[in-house]
Amino acid sequence: MSNNMAKIADARKTVEQLKLEVNIERMMVSKAAAELMAYCEAHAKEDPLVTPVPSSENPFREKKLFCEIL
Amino acid sequence: MCDQTFMAATFGPCDSCSKPSPLMNIYIKNEATNYCSLCVEMMACQGLQKGETLESLKRESETLKKKLEEERNKLNDVELHQVAEKVEVLSALSIKTRRVLKGHGNKVLCMDWCKDKRRMVSSSQDGKVIVWDAFTLNKEHGVPLPCTWVLACAYAPLRSLCLIMNGYLGLDNKCSVIPLSLDKNENLAAKKKSVAMHTNYVSGCSFTNSDMQLLTSSGDGTCALWDVESGQLLQSFHGHTADVLSLDLAPSETGNTFVSGGCDMKANVWDMRSGQNIQSFESHESDINCVKYYPSGDAFASASDDATCRFYDLRADREVAVYQKDSIIFGASTCDFSLSGRLLFAGYNDYTINVWDVLKGTRATILFGHENRVSRVRVSPDGTALGSASWDSTLRVSWSFSTGSNYIFRFIKLLFWVNSRLVLEFTVAF
Repeated sequence: MSNNMAKIADARKTVEQLKLEVNIERMMVSKAAAELMAYCEAHAKEDPLVTPVPSSENPFREKKLFCEIL
Repeated sequence: MCDQTFMAATFGPCDSCSKPSPLMNIYIKNEATNYCSLCVEMMACQGLQKGETLESLKRESETLKKKLEEERNKLNDVELHQVAEKVEVLSALSIKTRRVLKGHGNKVLCMDWCKDKRRMVSSSQDGKVIVWDAFTLNKEHGVPLPCTWVLACAYAPLRSLCLIMNGYLGLDNKCSVIPLSLDKNENLAAKKKSVAMHTNYVSGCSFTNSDMQLLTSSGDGTCALWDVESGQLLQSFHGHTADVLSLDLAPSETGNTFVSGGCDMKANVWDMRSGQNIQSFESHESDINCVKYYPSGDAFASASDDATCRFYDLRADREVAVYQKDSIIFGASTCDFSLSGRLLFAGYNDYTINVWDVLKGTRATILFGHENRVSRVRVSPDGTALGSASWDSTLRVSWSFSTGSNYIFRFIKLLFWVNSRLVLEFTVAF
């Protein structure tokens, strides 16, 4: 009996949750996609994996061997 | 099943009967209320009396689901890759694995970068957590733990706290915090502090922006927000119907939302303050192993056992891209975006890391090298490098070189090598 009530309570919660989700405000995909693209393009220059930086500026580069030889 | 023993989210006077008891957050006629469990059952009874049956409620939820689909489809006027045709094709990426970090004795299950952009923390099935310096490949700390299934770790943004999680072997369903110090003699394991406790394994964790709070996801089907100092539960998030495998916080400073993905194939977006599930996406065909926000915070990607990664836009409220290939049949266990969001790095169970062009939907390049499943990929905070952890017990760091200076650098290296050989022979001769 209480199991049935728990199921009903669950079902009512699901219904209320779906009502909330149906009623949210949405944007057209074309507009959302345009904004995603704009963000990518705006930040592409700063992205070292997309526009590689010269190795002298790359902090991960192997240290030069000057000191070892001299 | 999942969260039956973890229903009490807050404690206080019930909105219906005013008795102080553990409360459940429910929504009645679109308003959030807190009822004690007895009143929830009574509400359910009352529903029954008004002619609602379980069947009628189920039918109503089916109708609402169809309506949700229709509302989402109305806005689908164009595909992302069509809009992206205007964007330049990526120039040939020269991302390669440049460093291999060896030191763990068993599968590396998780890794994370420190905000100082050079330190990494990794956790392994050998029961150790190691902090690495990615520039010099030195190990800075090694913390042994009593549990061998340390599923995840993370760096706290401000105070260099390292976070560790203990898995489901034994009684450890806890999330612990360890303060890291530079004193190598300090017994770090003794300073371990338990913060979170779930009723099943803890699968994912993240510090919030403020560093004072911790968000965890668990195999008990819930996510929870904890206060680090006191260990108190601040908010819990119910809605998944199976294990939650991953979570990610929205990137904005003022962000109050996070996304979670789990074995119920759903990705849910939550409001951290109210505990409410704001949006839900169900298009994957198998467990979602990892979710990650797009850098702008308006979208997120998910990696799943169905061998695809998918990209969802939050404002359009729908899936806008699927990253898949017929040749990729193994599940993706992890994903992360590059700094600009143009690239999506995804680690797969076929030992590779596929790099996807997020906008065009095509694969930009593929990284080989790991000799077992890739368990975690993370881009460094300044976007310069990609760290990857694998079941082959190594971590690898990859980055890209601009090809021009690459050749010059190689030539200089060759000159030095020749020079050093000549010096050696010279000294030997004498």
